[in-house]
Amino acid sequence: MRLLPLAALFLAAQSVLAPAQADVPEAISKEILPGYAGFTAAAQALSDAAQADCSSAALQAPWNATFDAWLGVAHLRLGPIEDKGRALAIAFWPDPKAIGARQTESMLKAADPALVTADGMAQVSVAARGLFGLERLLYGAEATDTGAYACDLRRALAADLARMAQETEAEWHGGYADLLLTAGAEGNTRFLTRAEARQALFTQLISGLEFNADQRLGRPLGSFDKPRPERAEALASGRSLRDVALSLKALEGFARALAQGLGEIPLTEAAFARAHDVAAKLDDPVFAGVAEPGTRLKVEILQQSVRAAHDAALSEIGALLGVDAGFNSADGD
Amino acid sequence: MKRRAFLASLVAAAAIPRASWADAGNPAYLAAAKDPSGGYALWGLSETGERLFSQSLPGRGHAATAHPIRPEAVAFARRPGTFALVIDCASGALTARLTPPEGRQFNGHGVYSEDGTVLFTSEVVAEGSEGRIGIWDAAQGYRRIGEFASNGIGPHEIRRLPGSEVLVVANGGIQTDPSDRTPLNLDRMRPNLSYLSPDGAVLDQVELPDMWQNSIRHLALGPDGLVAFAMQWQGDLAEPVPLLGLHRRGTEVILAEPKDAEMFAMQGYAGSIAFSPDGAEVAITSPKGGRVQAFSAEGAPLWSVPRADVCGLGPCAAGGFVATDGQGAVARVAAGRFEPLSSANLSWDNHLVALG
Repeated sequence: MRLLPLAALFLAAQSVLAPAQADVPEAISKEILPGYAGFTAAAQALSDAAQADCSSAALQAPWNATFDAWLGVAHLRLGPIEDKGRALAIAFWPDPKAIGARQTESMLKAADPALVTADGMAQVSVAARGLFGLERLLYGAEATDTGAYACDLRRALAADLARMAQETEAEWHGGYADLLLTAGAEGNTRFLTRAEARQALFTQLISGLEFNADQRLGRPLGSFDKPRPERAEALASGRSLRDVALSLKALEGFARALAQGLGEIPLTEAAFARAHDVAAKLDDPVFAGVAEPGTRLKVEILQQSVRAAHDAALSEIGALLGVDAGFNSADGD
Repeated sequence: MKRRAFLASLVAAAAIPRASWADAGNPAYLAAAKDPSGGYALWGLSETGERLFSQSLPGRGHAATAHPIRPEAVAFARRPGTFALVIDCASGALTARLTPPEGRQFNGHGVYSEDGTVLFTSEVVAEGSEGRIGIWDAAQGYRRIGEFASNGIGPHEIRRLPGSEVLVVANGGIQTDPSDRTPLNLDRMRPNLSYLSPDGAVLDQVELPDMWQNSIRHLALGPDGLVAFAMQWQGDLAEPVPLLGLHRRGTEVILAEPKDAEMFAMQGYAGSIAFSPDGAEVAITSPKGGRVQAFSAEGAPLWSVPRADVCGLGPCAAGGFVATDGQGAVARVAAGRFEPLSSANLSWDNHLVALG
């Protein structure tokens, strides 16, 4: 074996020990910003499609593409997405009291032209807007509504979604990413230390996994005695399982980015791999099987595998980042 | 002691100037914290968030209450509490240790009578979580002198109406396992806000039957006696409810609704509550949602500020509020702005207790 020159060895070691990108910068440049760019592009394409043809048949594909793109960033509940109620207005779910459905119904009934404008949309309840507002108009009882107002409403909701996506992405580029990247710098009152920035992103990973386990899977599972298949997310469009699978994919990428340059995360990767595998083999797109003991078990196993990924990430990546669940938030009183 | 010697000691005691809060460096706040090695302590903080003194605690702390005259405070253990420590805030020295009677547990909060001769502590009967208010003789070495019912299950914070001896108790309604804090009755809990005389007579009681799963836990009192209470929602988080209530005896409760975009921000959880010094604003914190929300004293939403793991909250003399968090920051939070005052390698615990 030919010996490598010392300098090459040194360079190789340095590239492993001190990569150009690590944790927070890596997560922002490789996951967050591309994720938001994809969401903006998809939402804009949906809005353009709605201007051209507002029929539900024409909009289902671009709406699904937008929802797919949203799942790449839906776990991020910090920064611009939390301003002006954007996260709620983009995806108002869960909605156990069906507030959104009632709002959509009453909007169609009232047919107020002032609401289906750019300014008017800001007056509309967050429950009636965004992906789920559109889902009702593309898949629900209103999907077959070919009236002029339903058309205007689809266009207005799609344009509203595109605007929120664009604003969110622009605000990340225009300041919020820098706040995370300059954590601890003089004058940065949002993130007082680098650890706070790491903590903030780590919290998104952990909360995102919890949301999949407790909400996307936990709500339809309900209890053994009282399963609630009607509570599944995006039931009308039939993409409940797809939402979990795509969210897990995004969260795994986010987890890898956070660990980048800090160390290996074999337990987390194995747990994600198992969760992907369970999701891929589950032949139950809207978790209808939760009501039957045999098929319910499969959804429960998926939930357990998501919780296993949560537990692995919490200990493994938490240790790498030197952070843990919040002192006060983890255990209230 | 002979009678003559006793009288002489009384005279001597009277001749010695009593220590005051000024001798303690006039701390503005008390707060418990965990240090990086896992130890717990109670800290005295200045108006600008400087750490003035500390006293080690044998376990995780929760809140504290300050003596109205002497520079003395009682730090309470986190529930189920087995200790409360009386600390001389001038020297930082431990002057007494309170242990709940057999079968009782401290619940993290207490309050002095107006003249400072009696300390009232929020307690539960360990088995069943029936609420008790413990009575301690603060003039004579903190001897236990009695107790009365809190008028509910699982009392948490206890305060006193300003300028009176009327006690206000937040009976959280949650029965917990005596050993591990596990809630046992979330499907049938019944919280209330109770006004009690210093001998335990129930003067008034407020319940919220429409949201009986909203645990009434923490209290703040406006300068004019307006009672603000912070709640923790035990129902479905997808069905958000107001977490702040305002009450004055003889009138209806006002429930403060956040703005539409803020309705889920607190994740159903308010950890601390405080009035601004002028009483015009009242704010609540949520470490779970990483948010401070402020309302007018009439219950209208005003502003909010994001801050991870924020919990402790008190009035800021310069206006607005001072908040503490699990990341070690002490910050002024006012008019929708977050202004760091100090930071330390400590995790500030649930409460920031304002003195004076």
